[in-house]
Amino acid sequence: MEKLSDLEYLKLTKAQKFFYRLKLLITGFPSWLLGLGKALLSFLKNIILNIKNEFLDIFLTFKNGDFKTKLSYLFMGFGSIARGQILRGLLFLIFEIVFIFYMISSGTYWLNKLMTLGTKGPQEVYNEKLDQYVMTYYDNSFKILLYGILTIIFIIAFIYTWRLNIKQNKISEAIIKSGKKLKSSKDDLRSLVDDQFHKTLLALPLTGIIVFTALPILFMILIAFTNFDANHNGYSNALFTWVGTSNINQLVTWTSGSSNFSATFGEILTWTLIWAFFATFTNYFLGIFVALMINKKGIMFKKLWRTILVMTIAIPQFISLLYVSKMFSNNGIINGWLMDWGIVGLDSRIQFWENPTLARIMVILINIWIGIPYLMLIATGILLNIPADLYESAKIDGASTLQQFQKITLPYMLFITGPYLLTSFIGNINNFNVIFLLTGGGPTNQAYTTSGGSAGYTDLLITWLFKITTVDSNYKLAAVIGIAVFVVCAAISLFVYNILPSMKNEEEFQ
Amino acid sequence: MSMNNNEKRHMKQSTKNRISNTVIYIILILMSIIWLIPFVSIVLQSFRIESTLQVGYVIPKQWGLDNYIKLFKETSFPIWYLNTLFIALIVALVQTLVVLSMSYTLSRLRFKGRKFLMNFMLVLGLFPGFLTMIVLYTVLKDLNMIMANAVPGLILVYVASSGMGYYISKGFFDTIPRSLDEAARIDGATRFQVFYQIIMPLSKPIVIYTILTAFLGPWGDFIFARYISNYNSSGMNVAVGLWSWLQKDTIAQKYTLFCAGGVIVAIPVTILFMCLQKYYVEGVTGGAVKG
Amino acid sequence: MKKLLSVFLSFLMVVSLSACRPNEEGSTESETTEEETTEETSEETTAAEYSFKVWCADNVVDLTKSQLDKFATDHPEYALTFTVEAVGENDAATSMITDVEAGADIYSFAQDQLARLVQSNALAKPGVKASETINAENDASGIAAATFDKELWAYPLTSDNGYFMYYDKSVISEEHLGDLTAILEDCVAANKTFAFEGTTSAWYIASLFFGTGCVSEWNMNGTDIVSYNDTFNSEEGLIAAKGLKEIVTSPAFTSSSGADAFSANPAAAVLVSGTWAYSDVEAVLGDNLGAAELPSFTVDGNTYHMGSFSGNKLIGVKPQTDAEKAAVASQIALYLTGEECQSERFDAVAWGPSNKKAADSDAVKANPALVALAAQNEYGVPQGQYPGAWWDIGKAIGSAIFELGADSTDDDLKGVLQSYSDSLASLLTVDPEVARAWTVIGSVQGGDWSEDIEMVEDPEGTWTTADLDLKAGEEFKVRQGKSWDANLGSDGADGANFVVEEDGTYQIQLVVGDDWTAGTVELIKK
Repeated sequence: MEKLSDLEYLKLTKAQKFFYRLKLLITGFPSWLLGLGKALLSFLKNIILNIKNEFLDIFLTFKNGDFKTKLSYLFMGFGSIARGQILRGLLFLIFEIVFIFYMISSGTYWLNKLMTLGTKGPQEVYNEKLDQYVMTYYDNSFKILLYGILTIIFIIAFIYTWRLNIKQNKISEAIIKSGKKLKSSKDDLRSLVDDQFHKTLLALPLTGIIVFTALPILFMILIAFTNFDANHNGYSNALFTWVGTSNINQLVTWTSGSSNFSATFGEILTWTLIWAFFATFTNYFLGIFVALMINKKGIMFKKLWRTILVMTIAIPQFISLLYVSKMFSNNGIINGWLMDWGIVGLDSRIQFWENPTLARIMVILINIWIGIPYLMLIATGILLNIPADLYESAKIDGASTLQQFQKITLPYMLFITGPYLLTSFIGNINNFNVIFLLTGGGPTNQAYTTSGGSAGYTDLLITWLFKITTVDSNYKLAAVIGIAVFVVCAAISLFVYNILPSMKNEEEFQ
Repeated sequence: MSMNNNEKRHMKQSTKNRISNTVIYIILILMSIIWLIPFVSIVLQSFRIESTLQVGYVIPKQWGLDNYIKLFKETSFPIWYLNTLFIALIVALVQTLVVLSMSYTLSRLRFKGRKFLMNFMLVLGLFPGFLTMIVLYTVLKDLNMIMANAVPGLILVYVASSGMGYYISKGFFDTIPRSLDEAARIDGATRFQVFYQIIMPLSKPIVIYTILTAFLGPWGDFIFARYISNYNSSGMNVAVGLWSWLQKDTIAQKYTLFCAGGVIVAIPVTILFMCLQKYYVEGVTGGAVKG
Repeated sequence: MKKLLSVFLSFLMVVSLSACRPNEEGSTESETTEEETTEETSEETTAAEYSFKVWCADNVVDLTKSQLDKFATDHPEYALTFTVEAVGENDAATSMITDVEAGADIYSFAQDQLARLVQSNALAKPGVKASETINAENDASGIAAATFDKELWAYPLTSDNGYFMYYDKSVISEEHLGDLTAILEDCVAANKTFAFEGTTSAWYIASLFFGTGCVSEWNMNGTDIVSYNDTFNSEEGLIAAKGLKEIVTSPAFTSSSGADAFSANPAAAVLVSGTWAYSDVEAVLGDNLGAAELPSFTVDGNTYHMGSFSGNKLIGVKPQTDAEKAAVASQIALYLTGEECQSERFDAVAWGPSNKKAADSDAVKANPALVALAAQNEYGVPQGQYPGAWWDIGKAIGSAIFELGADSTDDDLKGVLQSYSDSLASLLTVDPEVARAWTVIGSVQGGDWSEDIEMVEDPEGTWTTADLDLKAGEEFKVRQGKSWDANLGSDGADGANFVVEEDGTYQIQLVVGDDWTAGTVELIKK
């Protein structure tokens, strides 16, 4: 495909630009893949080279170092302490002691069991004297997997620290040789609020993210390769173990017929995307529309309108959505009113939640009720920032209100909120509350019965995942769905990143 | 005397304007009604004392405070309320510190691995949030922070992952000119002093926004709170507790209590939100603009 | 400080997390802290101390507390501490399955959860003596409800977990009571609804299928579904589906089983629900409250009385690691489900007793809800055990028929039933092929327990080998699917080997019992 020069590109209209980028993206895909492959290759090469260098460096440091350095190979931090950097040395030493203690006391235990995830399940024995069945618990697959991973990470951290300790010695020796003074412990502490301030600030937040988000995600990815479910809960009934890719296969092998996991996944994914599309864009445009109305010159009580609308943000969704869900049931208040007013009869009551299509429309409509206020607030903020002279000159040129909206407001909004649209689209793919609290996923769809459990017409991937986890305790399939959701979200994000110009440069705004 | 053209046009425009304003007023009034109906009817239902179940009318036949009295005297609601309030206060405090340090670091400081870190968190953010709840449950169980003791467990879960939500306040910090820091650095201030003495005073809106969202979050959390409290009523928060009243076997006795509980939860939260709305708007607007 | 700090912190977190040492062999369970203790009895220092966590429904918490206190007073030999928490019957099962370790020691649950609980090992079997007591004191449905895979797993608590019909006397005329079509017409005429969970619960939907004589019986071996006999997809099933269609496509239909159907707008004139709704319905309808057995429905000129599940609530005991504690737990469960406690519970919250003596009281016999339930139970099917997925698959029949609407043809309905039975087929955890693959294995025919000898199935359900030359003293067993999961010996499943007594030519014959994993083996001499 022909590449356009910058000048040619600038001449294109918005739509043309978009399609141009799209085309670029699609035609560029093979070469992108090739590039990726090349990059991976050179990355691997680099790694091997680096490892070689590391070993060489470790060896040379040992060979050329003094006894302090040499002893540090065995007792971490010895060199630092001997050279007067007590604090650093102590940290190294404590780390080593704790590591050794940990590995002896429990680390090796978990590691040994990691390959099998445990061998002995619970045993029930009949105690004749007391006429009782008594249970004895042995291995716990879940903990073996969890602590096994932690132990491996700990070992990696240890090796890394050990290497750091050696480097430290080498650097110290060099500094001493050049006649400069080493940093004292006091300097180290001071640097934590200065040069190294980012470490101080990030230490706790990052620890939290790693322990409570990253590791659990790693764990769940591994769960997708086990048979962890209600039949093998890893502790009280039977242990679970590695099963290779058989769960993933369920998702990617397409056999027709009912109770098919992959077919159901496909259908629910389709609805999830439809939902995310409508939920995002209805809110977006209606939100802008409402903001324009409220901000129009001459409209009074601006603050009052805004306050009423933002009630839906302020009031927790579990109250408002649960209540609304009851209002729309087929013997709820809404149908009651409609009947009282003679609009519908007993037979023509509106089956808001029972009719699949209507239920899908209703969740999108009620989502508008919840979502417009956000967009209204955002749009208000942005609209106020649009330079007023743009409108003035447009007026002088005789542009109508609609034209002004088309030519000035909308492009400006779209440009500035492009990234927000993406996050909000991803957010809607994972929009649990609206679906769960309104319909619980219903109405049931007979075709969505799978080995993982059943699902309904309004179920999103995320609510399906929730049901499979909490109702069916089919953790292995839940993990598979979780990974699939990630893949979908990542694919969309990559795609949009490559198309939207305003996503690219972070520094541009500064 | 005839009107000149200019006046005519002026009048035409003002008539048009008046019509469009009327249309807008009508739309706004209709919207307000739609927006308010559910809330007004929850409030009305909470004062209904002739029966506890769902009924087909909105305006109570007998009014009274029975539901509220019962709520506090006979149910676990006060426990749930205090649980939630406690969680919300602690989370508001700690999460604000975490988010601010995270976003400040990523916005102002340049260090090795910064880009990697941001990409890493971006990737983590693409996984469904509660995929990991069974792991967290087990970890918290080892710390004895589940079921009746779910409150500290929940605080830990909320706070620990809060660093991921640095995006909006980073966007804010990005807009503060760098030259301010640099001038101070030249004057010999440490990075900590720059953060504390120069950036923080400028960041009031985003600090308030962060506190506000951190405080509001725990009131609505349902997924983790339910899983970690695992049906134990003394470890529940209001969302889980009130939700459990709308289940098949409880709704007949608890429906009006649910409404009363909802009102009690919504009032302080709403008032707080309305008072700090200005900051909230600045936060979301900035966040949307920055993405 | 090259990254030292971050590494240091990361190791701290690992340590803090891993601080818990691995479970030593056969460790006991950790007890979660008890919050609300009701009583500690007996100051004797010698008394064995036990603490129990007990879960029961919200409305019997106080009653249960006082009953437990009484138990403690009656048994000064133990120092007992109880934590009574309100966890509803369905929630209790879900919570136990999520985490058996932290769950209650003694808890009540609805019987449809039994299979799941057994599957998760969340129940300890009562001992032999306790089983005898349970069998002697409770009605047949209670015992059936607590039985899974031929063994007793729980203690029957009530015998009222079935459904029948509440109706508004001012709307439904007395003479229409037995006739579904007439009842629906009455509802429509009065602009009122007919509340029946016809699209949201298999428990209720099954009513019509049982009415036409369909069965759905499940045969499970521990946690695996071995086989099932389900005739919903049949001629009778089609009739039932038509009956269901009449209900769900009626203008009056509302899918609900809550008492608030009567107070909603449009209000219900009929509600199919259970005894638990009685007091709430009474509060709304007052003197207009009627309770009756379910009506009959008419398809193609024939009438069928709607069936139902007759079910129970049960009390379960969690498996204990300490035999002494298990014994006390078993005693407590027996006490809570005994005559005295069941009667008290009936007086307080009108739960229908499963205990025969408690059920025999005049008060029980006069309770309108229990009377209606008893009448309906004539057409009831004792609720056996169903795999959890059955409830999901079953309710989809209702929602699918509702979706098809009033214009659906017989073929449409057949399609729904076909889809239902396809889904069931996929539930089989034991491959039907495997379930039918019986073989002989042993030291016979010169084998050394490594070669399986084929058996051939005949239409009567008998499996037979070819003629075999057997020598005295040779041993063998019969097994299924070439695995030892299900095997038969001379004294039944998992029993001792069969021993050949004298030389000769034999056929080994197996007659498989109702349970696909058991049967009787015979040596037939030629």
